Amino acid sequence: MQVFLQTLIGGITFGAVYALVAMGFSIVYRTMGLVNFAHGSVVMIGAYAASTFYMASKVPFAVAIVVAIVVTGLIGLIIERFLRPLENKDFTLMLIGTIGFGAVLEALAILIWGATGHAVPSPVATEPLNLGGVRIPTYSLLVIGVAALATTMLAFFLRRTKLGAAMQAVAMDHEAATACGIHVGRSNAMAFGIGACLAAVAGSLIGPMLYVNPTMGGTLGIKGFAAAMLGGFGSMPGAIVGGIAFGLLDAFAAGNFQAYSELVTFVVFALAVMIRPTGIFGEATVNRA
Amino acid sequence: MRRRLLLLAPIAVAAWLLPYGLGGYTMHVVDVAVIFAVLAIGLGLTMGVAGQINLAQVAFFGIGAYTVAILTSRTGLGFWPAAVLAILASIAAGLLVGIPALRMQSHYLGIVTLGLALGFINWVTNAGIAGRAEGISDIPVPPLFGIDLSSGYLYYYLELAVFALVLVFALFVTRSPLGRRLRAMRDDDLAAGALGAEIPLLRMTAFVLSGLYGGVAGVLYAGLIRFVAPETFNIGNMFLLLAMVIIGGRASIVGCVIGALGLAFVREALLDVSAFAQLGYGIVVVLVVVFFPKGLAGLPAQVFRRKTGERPRLSPFVPYDEVPPADARSVLEIDQVTKRFKGLVALQDVSLSVPARQIRGIVGPNGSGKTTLFNVISGFYTATAGRVRLDGASVGGLAPYRLSLKGVARTFQNLRLFEDLTVRDNILVALDRTRTSWIWRYLALPWAVSRYERSLRGRADEVLHRFGLTEFADAIPRSLPYGIQRRVEIARAMASLPSLLLLDEPAAGLNGDEVGRLAEIVRSIRDSGVTVVVIEHNMGLVMSLCDHVTVLSGGRVIADGPPDEVAVDPRVVEAYLGDSMAAPTEREAEHEHADR
Amino acid sequence: MRLTIVAVVLAALTACAPPGENSGSSGEATGPIKIANVNAQSGQLSSLGKWENKGVKLAVDEANKAGGVNGRQLQLDLFDDQGDPTVGTNLARKISSDGYVAMLGTAESAVTLAMAPILKDAKIPNITSGQSPKLAELKSPFLFLNAPTSVTFDETLAKYLVDEKGYQKIALISNNGAYGSGEHDAFSKSLKARNVTPVADEVVTPEQKDFNSNLAKIRQQNPDVLFIGAEEVQSGLIAKQARELGLKAIFAGGAPMGTDVYATTAGLANAEGSVVSSPYLSNEASPAIKEFAAKYKAAYGEDARLHVAKAYDGASILIEALKKTGGKGGQELADAIRGVKRDGLLGQYNYDEFGVGIHETKIGLIKQGQAVPATAS
Repeated sequence: MQVFLQTLIGGITFGAVYALVAMGFSIVYRTMGLVNFAHGSVVMIGAYAASTFYMASKVPFAVAIVVAIVVTGLIGLIIERFLRPLENKDFTLMLIGTIGFGAVLEALAILIWGATGHAVPSPVATEPLNLGGVRIPTYSLLVIGVAALATTMLAFFLRRTKLGAAMQAVAMDHEAATACGIHVGRSNAMAFGIGACLAAVAGSLIGPMLYVNPTMGGTLGIKGFAAAMLGGFGSMPGAIVGGIAFGLLDAFAAGNFQAYSELVTFVVFALAVMIRPTGIFGEATVNRA
Repeated sequence: MRRRLLLLAPIAVAAWLLPYGLGGYTMHVVDVAVIFAVLAIGLGLTMGVAGQINLAQVAFFGIGAYTVAILTSRTGLGFWPAAVLAILASIAAGLLVGIPALRMQSHYLGIVTLGLALGFINWVTNAGIAGRAEGISDIPVPPLFGIDLSSGYLYYYLELAVFALVLVFALFVTRSPLGRRLRAMRDDDLAAGALGAEIPLLRMTAFVLSGLYGGVAGVLYAGLIRFVAPETFNIGNMFLLLAMVIIGGRASIVGCVIGALGLAFVREALLDVSAFAQLGYGIVVVLVVVFFPKGLAGLPAQVFRRKTGERPRLSPFVPYDEVPPADARSVLEIDQVTKRFKGLVALQDVSLSVPARQIRGIVGPNGSGKTTLFNVISGFYTATAGRVRLDGASVGGLAPYRLSLKGVARTFQNLRLFEDLTVRDNILVALDRTRTSWIWRYLALPWAVSRYERSLRGRADEVLHRFGLTEFADAIPRSLPYGIQRRVEIARAMASLPSLLLLDEPAAGLNGDEVGRLAEIVRSIRDSGVTVVVIEHNMGLVMSLCDHVTVLSGGRVIADGPPDEVAVDPRVVEAYLGDSMAAPTEREAEHEHADR
Repeated sequence: MRLTIVAVVLAALTACAPPGENSGSSGEATGPIKIANVNAQSGQLSSLGKWENKGVKLAVDEANKAGGVNGRQLQLDLFDDQGDPTVGTNLARKISSDGYVAMLGTAESAVTLAMAPILKDAKIPNITSGQSPKLAELKSPFLFLNAPTSVTFDETLAKYLVDEKGYQKIALISNNGAYGSGEHDAFSKSLKARNVTPVADEVVTPEQKDFNSNLAKIRQQNPDVLFIGAEEVQSGLIAKQARELGLKAIFAGGAPMGTDVYATTAGLANAEGSVVSSPYLSNEASPAIKEFAAKYKAAYGEDARLHVAKAYDGASILIEALKKTGGKGGQELADAIRGVKRDGLLGQYNYDEFGVGIHETKIGLIKQGQAVPATAS
């Protein structure tokens, strides 16, 4: 039982990170029907930006996150600007274009920060909570808290603000939104920007949990993507549920199948997606006729 | 063709003489590059030609190499028997990884195949039989009539022979009816299905090809390097392979080869500055995607846009021979059909019967269920309740390709031509009436395939001539005026020699003259013995063209009879007046489903 | 028809003179002596590769400054294997066809294993930084290790933990990569020889980041010692998460745990007291090491470490052997290397028929992120 609960804690903590990554995938996808395979690498850049600034300047961690958000937000806008000519044209090409961007970001990280990577000290240095033998690291609580906060803010933005409503409209019907005078291009850029900001939050949080290096984006990207799909691509609640589900799948596979966990995780994932290709919440996307 | 051969001869001679000018290491680099070229051809076939995003190609490669390694080192099997089994194993893996493709496409398929590839790497890292993380290092030198294949120079000739074989096979496949169907499926799988292409089998075929090429490359790799380890088949190499195919031009087999060879050498040259190399590939991939979507292979066409001398013109339609009417049996019978989408009722107890040689008009306000009815008849939707009979036989629930083979052809409201295929190829897709199981001939009787292809081409010319499209034969549909695209679509539907033709708003977007010519074509089609059902909003055309009209409103039949009677029916008048009140939800629902 | 003639002519040509290279190009006695250094400069383990290269370079630069070998300078060329065995095999061919007399590296056993047969055929001696027992099992006369194998590391560790300290409840966690599985097998074997059965034996993947479930299972057994068989970063993550879970066990492991990467990833407090088995514990262990560490710091502005030291030792041995052969390579050089008896930074080099030169390691404890010899504490 203790093992089960402890596995649960680990799964949920990592699941919260996957959920943040998955949300980044989903918001771009629902708005412009693009799968941004560079997202994992943007997370990595976010992690580097936050940790480098945090360790070099000794500012509060929250400030470092903001810096990372600015950096990745800019990168997001650049990627969007580059791929704009392809929007709503060839889906496969855009997909591959973003893979190209991912490679570029990774190479840049190696050139800037070196291939070695660095460890990041934890910003909260208190003892883990002990609940009847199940230990919850305080940093895990912080991760889950920040993820929840980011989700709430995003939901508020989409539901309650004018810009957010415009983005929702674009997500529902591209042409109708244009007809209503909504600037679709701006909406797309916005979506890319928000996606990149979410990446920065995810990356900043991962830093102290793990270790920051240029190749960390690959696995995170693939797992976050898989999480988004599991939940229902493009759906925000789907991203959260999918993220946690994938984190748990990962954690329990590691406990029960040892070194074969990766094989088990991906086979289970493939089966789940085959049974329900649209994910738990169904796909929410722009209509690509 | 002959000129092509002459052009090929110097390349072949150069390839033959190449080793004489190379150092030992460069030779080895060339050997590795050729293996990547084989892999790239496989990926080009699956991704570029068949449109299946397959990120497991590197795993098929690994399965080929590992099977050879395991069989030769663990069971003492000879290299060549092991090689045959390895290729079979890769093909089996292709079939397995292809299963998800039956349920999902594009990025969904991409991530699932990528996940399965990761699973494969995880397995070989763990399994004792696969040598775990250190791999297997005692693969024997492949024996070949006393030729010492441990020499990179002599191995090159083995590779060259295999490469020539797989290249020719790939070119043969892409230029044959199978390749055309694969490309049609890539451009529009719904339309391809409606023209008789068995989509599920074709997708599996694409993955079998992928497995075959991966397996061949894996065998060559095992024989050359004589060592396998998990690291070689990692995701980084998958993306390198992807970059090769994209930069070369994914839809062109020759482009894939050039991309693979080119990038393999560039990678070698930049080995000591690999971070810059990666930066380089990344940037080049992005630039290619944005500016040269067809890759290096598409570059010549993009640079030297062919100047069209004379503007092609549409020739008049050559009417079909009239066939005397036979008995007035009912070709299409719809009996109490209901179709619901998640609580929304699109069709409610619709019944109608269309006798042979009739032009039946289906009219009704927007959202009345007309296109849904077509989708049920042509097999895109399965009716929630009720029956559809074709020539008296129940066909409810049959897949579109089966219905196509039974003589149902259709056009689409928003034109579904295969955009990257020429007009002639569009017609050829429809002319090919074989089942996919026919493809065993590609391996066993390639000459029979060539003969069949020649006969298809002859018949395509006839169809093009009949519809006056001869001068547009080599044009890409997208570049043609709307009216001509409509005509191509009808010609394509008629090329499948249907007994029932479904036309969904054929006059939409046509000018007055074109509408007149359309009516003439449709009448001739009827007189040749084909039954026509047409959805149309142009009431003038409906009145003059149709023999009989069925009116739908809110998913129900509200009137049925000769055009002049129906036009004055009070219920019909009311339905049309109330059009603006009708909920437009059905059209959207249809849209969404048709896109899946 | 014409084509057939061409084909026949070509076939005849090939039959007469199959293309190939004249072998034996490495025997020139003038110009610089070419030494290849193959190490990952990119990819996940590139940090190791970079340290190794600096160590090698330091030794070669010193030799060149002192006049080289028989008046000939040494030319050191760096090749990046990207951590990929296939790239490694390519490089092995490149090295053999480009006239290099010897190769130094790589830090990854899997890559060295892949290259070994080719180098053996080309008679090019290779002093590797790998430490997998499988390297020794090859018994290649041209392959030498500059450090002990995992067997020695883990035997020393087991001796200390079980024989000296008397711990019986020992748990294992290791990854299934080349290094981790080698450690796992070697340590398990040492425990078995002492009749100790591990209370838990968890295997993870090298990519894994969340060890909660594995560690929770280990915690249930309440072990005295947790043996970690993984590279630097993953060892650190495991140590960190284990302490967060309230695991009180002493961490023990091989050389990766003696590094600052391990200590900072785990957090200094969590790494405190970890037991590490390594032939090179600190930069202050002996006067010779102190001198070396000072030279290194002066040259590169960073602290020396095990990987630097063993690469330096390996290169020094090669240079000494080259002096004996007068710059000649091949079998002669391999024999010369085998004959070198050197008091190196890692200990006494004395090569056996397996190509292993060092046969013992020392036990250290991590204090404030630095390894200190266990006897001194």
